[in-house]
Amino acid sequence: MFLKELTELSGVSGYEYEVRNYIKSKLDEIGCEYKVDKLGNVIAHNKGKKNKKIMLAAHMDEVGLIVSHIDSNGFIKFQPVGGVDQRILNSKSVLIGENKIPGVIGSKAIHLMSAKERGKSIPIDKLYIDIGTYSKKETEELVSIGDYVVFKSSYVEFGEGLIKAKALDDRAGCSVLLDLLSMKLDVDFYGVFTVMEEVGSRGAQVAAYGLEPDYAIVLEGTVCVHMPGVKENSMVTLIGRGAALSLMDSSTVYDIDEVRKVENIAEKYGISYQFRTSTSGGNDAGAIHKTKEGSKAVAISLPCRYIHSPVSVASKNDYDNVVRLIKAVISENQKGE
Amino acid sequence: MLKEFLFEACSNQFVSGFEYINGYMLKKYFEPYTDSSEKDKIGSYIFKQNGTSDKKIMLAAHIDEIGLMVTKILEDGFLSFTSVGGINPASLVAQDVIIYGKEKIFGVIGIKPPHVIPKNERSKALKIKDLYIDTGYSKEKLENLVSIGDVATIKRDPVSLQGSVISSKALDDKACVAVMLETAKELNKISHKSNIFYAATAQEETGCRGSSAASYKISPDIGIVLDVGFGMTPDMPPETACLGNGPVIAFGGRLNLKLTKKFIEVCHTYNYSIQCEAIPSDTGTDAESVQINREGVPCILLSIPLRYMHTSVETIDVKDVETTGRAIARFINELDNSDWGELLCF
Amino acid sequence: MNFNSELMKKLSDCFSPSGREKNMREMIINEIKTYTDEIKVDALGNVIARKKGNGKKILFSAHMDQIGLIITHVDDKGILRFSNVGGIDPKNLAGLRMVFGNGLEGVVCSEEIKDGEKIAMSSLFIDVASTSKEFVRNNFKAGDMCIFKTEYYETENCVICRAADDRTGCYILIEALKNQPATDNDVYYVFSVQEEVGPIGAKTAGYRINPDLAIALDVTATGDSEDGIKMDVKLGEGAAVKLMDKSLITHPQIKDLLTQLAVENNIKYQYEVLEFGGTDAGAIHLLREGVPSGVISIPTRNLHSSGEIFSKSDVLECIKLVQEVAAK
Repeated sequence: MFLKELTELSGVSGYEYEVRNYIKSKLDEIGCEYKVDKLGNVIAHNKGKKNKKIMLAAHMDEVGLIVSHIDSNGFIKFQPVGGVDQRILNSKSVLIGENKIPGVIGSKAIHLMSAKERGKSIPIDKLYIDIGTYSKKETEELVSIGDYVVFKSSYVEFGEGLIKAKALDDRAGCSVLLDLLSMKLDVDFYGVFTVMEEVGSRGAQVAAYGLEPDYAIVLEGTVCVHMPGVKENSMVTLIGRGAALSLMDSSTVYDIDEVRKVENIAEKYGISYQFRTSTSGGNDAGAIHKTKEGSKAVAISLPCRYIHSPVSVASKNDYDNVVRLIKAVISENQKGE
Repeated sequence: MLKEFLFEACSNQFVSGFEYINGYMLKKYFEPYTDSSEKDKIGSYIFKQNGTSDKKIMLAAHIDEIGLMVTKILEDGFLSFTSVGGINPASLVAQDVIIYGKEKIFGVIGIKPPHVIPKNERSKALKIKDLYIDTGYSKEKLENLVSIGDVATIKRDPVSLQGSVISSKALDDKACVAVMLETAKELNKISHKSNIFYAATAQEETGCRGSSAASYKISPDIGIVLDVGFGMTPDMPPETACLGNGPVIAFGGRLNLKLTKKFIEVCHTYNYSIQCEAIPSDTGTDAESVQINREGVPCILLSIPLRYMHTSVETIDVKDVETTGRAIARFINELDNSDWGELLCF
Repeated sequence: MNFNSELMKKLSDCFSPSGREKNMREMIINEIKTYTDEIKVDALGNVIARKKGNGKKILFSAHMDQIGLIITHVDDKGILRFSNVGGIDPKNLAGLRMVFGNGLEGVVCSEEIKDGEKIAMSSLFIDVASTSKEFVRNNFKAGDMCIFKTEYYETENCVICRAADDRTGCYILIEALKNQPATDNDVYYVFSVQEEVGPIGAKTAGYRINPDLAIALDVTATGDSEDGIKMDVKLGEGAAVKLMDKSLITHPQIKDLLTQLAVENNIKYQYEVLEFGGTDAGAIHLLREGVPSGVISIPTRNLHSSGEIFSKSDVLECIKLVQEVAAK
């Protein structure tokens, strides 16, 4: 498992350099062939027994912020990159740009808020990052418009087998993919670490265009609302119940025969799994399965509580089930019909 | 020449899907500086300057503009219509229009006078379905002149304001087609090794459609996408770009960072003023389709600041057009002298 | 040419929500196999039938899928939670009978909705009428889909049925194929999957075929009701030649071609500008270097409901127009 290192790297959509460099160095260590394409996807090839062309995809990028303006007092205005809930931004520690300039997201003291203001979450355009400078000039020497901002949040193992980190969506997928590639299995598959998923699956589409897979497995961190006060049918996924299989989301109606096959494989190998009980959200499968002449696609995900926040939570046990399930699925698929 | 091109292009119609009608105008201006031209299957015009290497750089600016389309012919010579692209209905009220039927037909869009409207209704925003074009014809006559599916635009003569500032309909995105014209002219003077493709793309306003087919056909190594962006007015947020301060280059999740920084470097070297903006995700421009064409195209996005977007009084500074066009020519020149392997690798 | 009610009923009765088009695929292949030179089923399940020729490569497309519901959660009491597959408004669902692929049925019920409260998909569920845990567990699973239960009904000149969107299109292509228009063109008849959630199937099929021109067959709305949609399409006034919708501005050559063929062959037609929605042609026309595309639409009332209404004569006019395009 490479989760600790992977989640502590910065990689907001369009600026995946740190993650890509880490993955490249791991692939070199493993001794796996790879190339980097025109948009920055890393495409690794695990050679082995082959029945069809299988593409595994996990995205390297994470949601974050981008600097949009520096005001006259040197405070930094920003916009979200990917889906960031404005309610999670208050009172966070962040790192800005390549040089990781530390900053904090502050807000007006509650004492000074009107009753009306207290009743509402603070919109993003009213929030600022403070890096401790006193003037626009001073800030401009350290930060520029277009710099990316990530949350500062370290990887922690806690409770009974749980993990807390930022960017579990989708460093979890990247870690699973690296795990599978380091196993040196005698089955053929392409492990694609994609860019720009959070801004619309840009990388996955062009990678699929080049690869033309017959079958794609998308590895994701997915929504989990396994919390008090939520009915089970609204939880989407549950922590500790195993790998989550997608049936339908806003970008894909998954091929039902393939989904049932994965289900049977899980049963056969005694791997715990669950269905993702929501049809909202989307992932790289949407772009991949309809590229060129089309392909079959399934999505296998790790349930993540508080996804897209600096305190995403997942279970190590679920993670193991995801790894085992994907390994079994590619092996079964390369066996032939 | 830029102003002359802009005035001529803006006073004619290039409504999305109907660009071919006045396409000859593009040829007239671009052909003197380029080696070949063609109209593709969606209706984009592509002009090419031959280079000496096998590298391909694509510039894209959309030639289409928002407009209206007739949906129904009513009694007493009124026409129902819908919009082609995004239009604020408020900007249509009390305007002269031209309907491009069998011939050009003049009409106006009027609304019920305030005298006959309840007070609370006056403060409500109008919707397109509440509006009609009044042609003054009888239904019978009109049916011979206009048919469902014909397009119309607001009738507006471009005007020169102070200095090099001009105002017209459809400067979105003729301003950027003019940028390409300036780049073509410049590159005709200074040498270039790469093959340069100028794509005046069709149907951007209805969803970046033309640039998808055009970039597939060209299959470029680098994309330079040009569009207009919001210009500063008293009601805009403080980060808005100002007219006259040069092109605005975008940083964002879908754009190539190295090329973006390279462009800024070139502007600094040659003393072209430049402004920066952050566009986190969807740029709403032709970059959307060019970037994910085939196996991917590294793109940068430049905008010309424009006030009052998608109205008939769009306003720009022609100086920005000229600066941008020249800066791109310098940028291409610098690219030709750089190591592309290093520039485009991750 | 007469209206083949038997075929239309069979098509409308078939279970084929988006992503679950198996039955429809088999039925169509069975109907057309003796009339084509080649039939392929691609990775996503599109049926691509071909009449070979040396002329222009023409693609016709009609989608096999229909709107429906997908089960997301099943509990022991026989309560099924669901999401919509394609454009369905939750406010039209409560009380409707639904039928599953296995023939079992359920009814859409709602939690208590307070006055003035908006009905959301999440406050609705399907009751499958059983007190047996075993029965529920054995017959219903997350991922199952269901569709409206509607009886096919017809009058002398019109039909009420479910999924006229787009079984009318499939019907038109099947009949046109059977009539075997004499042509040297290379004609592809695509029965596409997943239009209601995309279009998805038309995109991959179109990419494979890479045609010179493409025509989709799909339904359109009408402006027949007094305060309804403001458009000029009328039921019974013939094939509608689409000029624009949210996914496509018809290529000028295609507009001219369809108009000219209709006029020359006395085919009753009308122009259509639709202010919402899209079709397979929206996806196809943007493929590769672009494909000049258009749509022949079947005027249909009460779209995306359990009872869609169309005119038999309009459908017959559409068939004639398709045949003329194939032969041109």
